Amino acid sequence: MTVKVEKIEGGTPHNTLMWAGLIASLVCIYLGAGLNLAFSAYTFSFFGGLAAVAAIVWGSNTIKTLCSYGIGTGVPSVGMISLGSGVIAMLIATRFNWWLAPIVLVIVAVIIGAIIGYMANDVIMMKIPVMRRSMTEVAVIGALMLMGFAQMATSTYSLVGLASTSSTLLGVTTSGFGGSFIGASIIAVAFILGAIAVQHPFNATLGPSWKQDRMLMLAAECGFLSMIPVAFMSIAYLSLPAVIVSIVVSLAGWYYTYNQYLCLSQRDAAAWLDAKPIREPEGH
Amino acid sequence: MTVTPKPTGGVGMNPVANALSILLLIAIVVATYILYYAASPLVFMALVAVIIGGVLVGFGVHFVPVGGAPAAMGQAPGIATGVAMLAAGSGLAGLFGGAFAINSNLGFFTSIVAGGIGGALMMAITCLFVTLIYTYGMGIPSASGKVKVDPITGDSQVEYKSQGTEGHGLPFSSFVGGVIGGFLGGLGGTLIYYELLMVYEAKLPALLSAASASAVAPVAISLAGIFAVGMFLVNAVLAAYNITGTTEGFHDPKFGRFPRAIIACLAASAVCGIVAILVAAL
Repeated sequence: MTVKVEKIEGGTPHNTLMWAGLIASLVCIYLGAGLNLAFSAYTFSFFGGLAAVAAIVWGSNTIKTLCSYGIGTGVPSVGMISLGSGVIAMLIATRFNWWLAPIVLVIVAVIIGAIIGYMANDVIMMKIPVMRRSMTEVAVIGALMLMGFAQMATSTYSLVGLASTSSTLLGVTTSGFGGSFIGASIIAVAFILGAIAVQHPFNATLGPSWKQDRMLMLAAECGFLSMIPVAFMSIAYLSLPAVIVSIVVSLAGWYYTYNQYLCLSQRDAAAWLDAKPIREPEGH
Repeated sequence: MTVTPKPTGGVGMNPVANALSILLLIAIVVATYILYYAASPLVFMALVAVIIGGVLVGFGVHFVPVGGAPAAMGQAPGIATGVAMLAAGSGLAGLFGGAFAINSNLGFFTSIVAGGIGGALMMAITCLFVTLIYTYGMGIPSASGKVKVDPITGDSQVEYKSQGTEGHGLPFSSFVGGVIGGFLGGLGGTLIYYELLMVYEAKLPALLSAASASAVAPVAISLAGIFAVGMFLVNAVLAAYNITGTTEGFHDPKFGRFPRAIIACLAASAVCGIVAILVAAL
């Protein structure tokens, strides 16, 4: 076994990750919506899930930046406030048309996040230098994650699309609200899938041997893992080929990132052994 | 990794930031009044109720005895988990109770008090079983580290406190504090839910071009629920930041910090509330 010695500080700077995550997430949402429109198909909805993965990878590094100051309440609280403020920004954005909604989402989330960050840093006097910025970022991240998951499950992110379903049975099209993404409260499942996926990577890898690439790989793994249930939820809303594409993409992504994460964990471990059955001592 | 010391949660208040927050709150409330009161008073009333609900949640969190990891090792009093989990647990339990009462058309006050009772019940059950596990499972007595005598029962605490700990177990005052905190949290959460539900039931049928209000009921209930959860978490986490993780309840010196959390929750609830209402009212 070779031991690779790396600097603990360093890795990709946070600014780079932030812009990469934001742009990748927005591009994926636009790609999914645009390609679905261009081919009038549902097949490209999985891009929404990829947008959520990009947001989760960015979010794990934001949470690392914030939580290395020791906020005293535990890492999960940041994941919860991220989605709590994000869901409000995401749902107001669904009122706008498909090319305006992601931009509105980012703007509203920045406003809500900045105000919450100001409250936490200046009114509550946390006095953490990155507090305002981190709260702003996590609000955008939470909103992008929810929009991505909503797009992956239903192929759309307009309020009318998320709140209503139309089903064709024996040639008669009926429309209703009860079984929709919002009406059946599937949004609550997406909410908690995102909240856990964004807080888990840093919570699991923190400590003296923290390495950025390992945490980011775990974040991507958590993102793809969350995509799998969303892909199954999309059975209710999308055509069969689109569902199969979503499931294949999320399973393949999860398998690859999980393997990579195992390799990185073994690289960073002091020593590792392949477990074997306990051998009975002879003559016993 | 640079590990900086835990923030002690600065003492005192920041007058400029407080003034700005109050200004923001007033600006939002006045703007909503001017824009919406004439056309639909419901929107304005809902905003006010949502702000009150958010403040109740933020205030209630200060009562809940949160122990965190040290409590799990018997080195600090309180329930051995984080604020976000405890507040979410009691708030959601309250929300279920309140939503059930709203669904049965029991009226405004019965509904929100039912929500409060739900939250208080959840905290009472949690505190009871936490005490059972501490006492009979871990074999540690309940002793506060912050006060010499329990403010409610008057029992002496010092003799029971182990050296090198900040107290352990769940003292009686913390138990009572937990129940009060659960009640306030459930009350606030249900108030937010109730008012948002009223707004969505009034506005959504036109927005979704539905035939009747009952057709969009699932959407209105789900939207109000997810917003209530979101705003609940925002206020609970802000209050948790205010007490920097662990507290013993209302007899803890940290309880005196609550005015800061109230100002923060006022402004944060106003911003989140107006956006949540605008989803339907825009």
